[in-house]
Amino acid sequence: MTERKTGIYLCGGCGIGEAIDVAALEGVAKKEFKLDSKTHACLCGDDGVAMIRADLEAGINQVAIAACSSRVMTDRFGFEPIQVLRADLREKVIWSHPANHEDTQALAEDSVRMVLTMATKVKAPEPYVEGEWSSRILVMGGGVTGLAAAAQAAALGHEVLLLERSDRLGGRALDSSKRLPHRPPYAQPAANDIGDLVASVTGNAKITARLGCTVTQTSGMPGRFVVNLSDGSVETVGAIVVATGWRPYDASKLGHLGYGASPDVVTGVELEGMLKAGKVTRKSNGAPVKSVAFVQCAGSRDPDHLPYCSSICCATSLKQALELIEAEPATNAYVVYEEMRTPGVMEELYRTAQAAGVIFMKGKVKTVGADLTVTVADELIGEDIPLAGLDMVVLATGMVPNSTNTDAPSPAEGAEQLAGDIDPEVPFPVAGYCGDAPAAHAKRPQAAPEGGSLLNLQYRQGPHLPVLHDGFADSHYICFPYETRRTGIYTAGPVRRPMDWAEAAEDASGAVLKAVQAVRSASAGAALHPRVGDLSFPKINLNQCTKCKRCTVECPFGAIDEDEQTYPIVNATRCRRCGTCMGACPVRTISFDNYSVDMLSSMIKAVKVPDEFSGKPRILIMACENDAIPALDMAGIKRNQWSAHVRILPVRCLGSVSLLCISDALSVGYDGVMMMGCKPGDDYQCHFVKGSAMAAERLSKVGETLKSMMLEPERVTQAEASIADADRLPKVIDAFVEQITAIGFNPFKGF
Amino acid sequence: MTKTMSYYPGCSSQASAVHLDTSLRAVMGKLGVQLRDVEDWNCCGASVGHIEGGHLGQAALSGRNLANAQAAGDEDFVTPCAACYLNSHYTNEKIRENPTVKAQVNEALAEAGKSYDGGLHVRHACEVIVNDIGMDKVKDQVTNPLTGMKIAGWVGCQTVRPFAKTDRGGMWETYDDPSFLDDFVTACGAEAVPFKGKTKCCGGSVSVMSPDKTLHLMKDILDEVKTSGAEAVVTPCPLCQTNLEMYQPEINKKFGTDFNFPVLFYSQLMAVAFGLEAKTDAALHQHLIPPVSLLSRAK
Amino acid sequence: MNAPSPTPTKKYDLSFARWVYDNIDGGDRMALCMQCGTCSGSCPIGTQMDHGPRKLFMMIRAGMKEAVLTSNTLWNCVSCYNCVVRCPRKVPVAYILHDLATVAVREGYAEARNSDNARFAKAFWWSAAKYGRTDERLVTGKYYFSFGIGEGYKRGMANLPIAMGMIKTKRMHLGMPHKCSNTGELHKILAKAAEIEARDHGKQG
Repeated sequence: MTERKTGIYLCGGCGIGEAIDVAALEGVAKKEFKLDSKTHACLCGDDGVAMIRADLEAGINQVAIAACSSRVMTDRFGFEPIQVLRADLREKVIWSHPANHEDTQALAEDSVRMVLTMATKVKAPEPYVEGEWSSRILVMGGGVTGLAAAAQAAALGHEVLLLERSDRLGGRALDSSKRLPHRPPYAQPAANDIGDLVASVTGNAKITARLGCTVTQTSGMPGRFVVNLSDGSVETVGAIVVATGWRPYDASKLGHLGYGASPDVVTGVELEGMLKAGKVTRKSNGAPVKSVAFVQCAGSRDPDHLPYCSSICCATSLKQALELIEAEPATNAYVVYEEMRTPGVMEELYRTAQAAGVIFMKGKVKTVGADLTVTVADELIGEDIPLAGLDMVVLATGMVPNSTNTDAPSPAEGAEQLAGDIDPEVPFPVAGYCGDAPAAHAKRPQAAPEGGSLLNLQYRQGPHLPVLHDGFADSHYICFPYETRRTGIYTAGPVRRPMDWAEAAEDASGAVLKAVQAVRSASAGAALHPRVGDLSFPKINLNQCTKCKRCTVECPFGAIDEDEQTYPIVNATRCRRCGTCMGACPVRTISFDNYSVDMLSSMIKAVKVPDEFSGKPRILIMACENDAIPALDMAGIKRNQWSAHVRILPVRCLGSVSLLCISDALSVGYDGVMMMGCKPGDDYQCHFVKGSAMAAERLSKVGETLKSMMLEPERVTQAEASIADADRLPKVIDAFVEQITAIGFNPFKGF
Repeated sequence: MTKTMSYYPGCSSQASAVHLDTSLRAVMGKLGVQLRDVEDWNCCGASVGHIEGGHLGQAALSGRNLANAQAAGDEDFVTPCAACYLNSHYTNEKIRENPTVKAQVNEALAEAGKSYDGGLHVRHACEVIVNDIGMDKVKDQVTNPLTGMKIAGWVGCQTVRPFAKTDRGGMWETYDDPSFLDDFVTACGAEAVPFKGKTKCCGGSVSVMSPDKTLHLMKDILDEVKTSGAEAVVTPCPLCQTNLEMYQPEINKKFGTDFNFPVLFYSQLMAVAFGLEAKTDAALHQHLIPPVSLLSRAK
Repeated sequence: MNAPSPTPTKKYDLSFARWVYDNIDGGDRMALCMQCGTCSGSCPIGTQMDHGPRKLFMMIRAGMKEAVLTSNTLWNCVSCYNCVVRCPRKVPVAYILHDLATVAVREGYAEARNSDNARFAKAFWWSAAKYGRTDERLVTGKYYFSFGIGEGYKRGMANLPIAMGMIKTKRMHLGMPHKCSNTGELHKILAKAAEIEARDHGKQG
């Protein structure tokens, strides 16, 4: 390896030079690190950048910059492939602390110490690029979503393997009458155009469709998944789009709504079939249907059935009512609803149905008699009202995701991994939580849905795609909805969340774009969301490994398998680079080229901890780079002020923090430690899904250790941060500083 | 440049709002608008006519007025009264947009040899001043600025609701926060105080028939006047003026308050500010609560 | 006159609702009501109504004709038109209430006929139709005495100070009522209008 030559640059612009003594920072570099540094009045200006470029040409191979936040000026300070390390003197120092104050100066100096220490502990990452890579995309499911996905992937130049379990392409749309409106003015049911979509796929040379075909086994990783199919063939693909769709909720469980009591109580899907066939009559006697009641939320938003809203049942009932009225204008159509939910443009369809004379009753259905009398507890009138003389009752049942293959038996293993997923009931069990503690949530069962695994993944963590409690694939709904917890495998359409035809087609585009990104990144050895482009990956020194399996169990993405001797094997392209494995490893033997426990600990120790006679506490905040650091940057931009006694160490994810970092901090005299990161729990905000939950779980066990060190457990805490917390976080920090000050100084100080 | 417009004063112009009629005629002359009274005009039916008279009876009342105005050859049909504006505007729109109503009204008018085709523009007098004349012209006429007076501009309901859109297209004001009264007050040299009750309802005709139901509405408005620091209220609406003025003693009795706010018409403010005569032009003597401050400034 | 409205025999019998859609001014838009309650929330006097417009509209859909036409919601409307301009579905709420009030009087509901509003409307229309103009003095007098001689006298006396003030300020005149000059013409027009309304069942096309 070539000798490390780091160029150090200090910026005096944006008021930094006026608020702190930058020359003293140069002194820190010189005296403590024996390194020369250069100060520029406006480092991001052409002149400043030219200065750095000149040094790069002269042979420096690493750059450390102390200027603004690492989140800004990344274009000006981007010198690919040279690694650039950043210390923030602006947002989190001079903008958030008083100018020309000794504490602010001390904070700035420590920032320089930390980045210069980091510079000695990292190297430019070498990506994992071994072997062959496939750019072919596997699409599972030949319905609206799958067909749209296949067409989109082919349009982007990728070979597509399209699997369909049944013997026809088109899915449920083939059994539907009209579709929900999808074009302006969105006011009328639209023609069923599934035939066009099927034709566009069957006529595309890039798409190979196999009917009656399912996946029996999947191994490998993004860029080279090896997929065994039910027809006996074995295929290699780069990424997988799961578009297995939905099925209607089992109406036989809806006896309380009259299903089964009369053949004229039908589900929405059954009515759809009749509309498709062009013949809507009473099943009981073949008589015409002149009066029909639609029962919304039939087995939905009901804790005993589907707890969630399927979002399209209201619009679907409106569409069906309109189709009935179109065929026979004298039809009486009642819609019994709890809340009409017509998201977005479906409002227009609602208006059309109202104008067409559909009668809406707000309330809950109490009983449905065998004579089809529907008794409604009418919420607006406040009485139980019987609807008699109906010819048909339609139960608008919800959508159940096809997260499993219901034709196949549940696998022997896998359920326990899902059930055992870390899901702390109380997000922050550690005493001394600052600010308003979030309410504890009940732990919900995360059992695997019934049925065979769709992909039968040959992963250490079991064959399933992890699901949320409602059976939909787990993903970060806000930031990266298509990502599952198995990298390179993307869900789209109603298997991801309930949605209609047009949304599903749109969803397919989103998932395909992610799949394309996955195959392209895999061959370059680059990470996917959220650390897009990161070339580092976990490296394990097996000589020190104790085979404790914590890394293989805790990885939120199932990236680490075990070999025959139960040593961990990293599947590099499955990894998202969160570092949860690094945080888990009790012997610090997992690290990245540019991120390690040693690096974090050294940075912690680089800070000058004042002695107790100074009267100044020193507090460490390990803050997540995803939301906490940007929120603190925004706090600085807003000039919100917080205590200058804290030192902020950015981490990839709270999951990457080893407890050893905390004990190191306390042993060198820090008075308190705060972990600041995303919300864990079943409505998590963690960008790595389980990282902050893992941190909370680990922290819940640290109290005993602290007590054995004769330290108060309140010295260590975890705080929840969201991207919008610019005003709250400074208060959280100050409250913690106050709390620590009240406890008193760490007795280990000075040892 | 003088423009002639048909003028429909409405029933209150001969009774409770005679001072609106007097002062408006006085200032309109100064502002260059010649008001030509609609020939033998009749009642619009106000907000209760439909109950006994039905739709078409109500429409026929306005229809006759509009027919008479059209026969006179004017383009604009101006009224100072909120209810007259609402009913005439509504009927005019119906006749224009609904062929059945147009045929029905004309069938009734034919009994008297009259007809109406929906061609007139029904205008509120305020809207004419705001849009056709403009505040600059109002300011030009001010010779006796009402310096130092603090006035709350109270628009009420039907002047802007539901017809804050004009019969010539577009909105002339907003439904909830109209500013034209404040502009009048300012143009006249007085101070328009911030007033939260701008479009609060006085109870309208319900206040006339069953004041017990609505005194609290007027009390709320007067509370807002008090909070605003105004010494007087100014309004464009005849019924608003009468209700808020005549019920103050009753409100004081019921709620233990001591309200004694003069309630003026915007046209009276202008008359005084234009230097017109206090009695014959501004009709300041026709208030139950004498507008002492304004009287003291009048010529 | 409108054809009498049908009386539903059971809840959610749509006959009355459909009659309202077809025969009431603005009724065609009533079907678009989504029960958001902006109307009732915007009503200055909503708290004094037994149901308020939102619930009244629901009751129409539910076929509760009698409860609708005897509701004081019809009589408490102060015609401020807040509901009309604020309705997100552009339902002309106040217009509909006004028309329903007309229907309630016509169909002879005692609550309607005995309401202050119907009594006042009767006196008002009498003056407007007879003289072509409303004479506030005669309208209020006639209205007061619609409650009977004793009550009329009482109400008149209670309002005497106001009346005296109005007379003193020349805003109420004594003597002959104001009137149009050609009342004969007006009477003919109004008689024809009533005839057409009866003939066309109040439909406005």
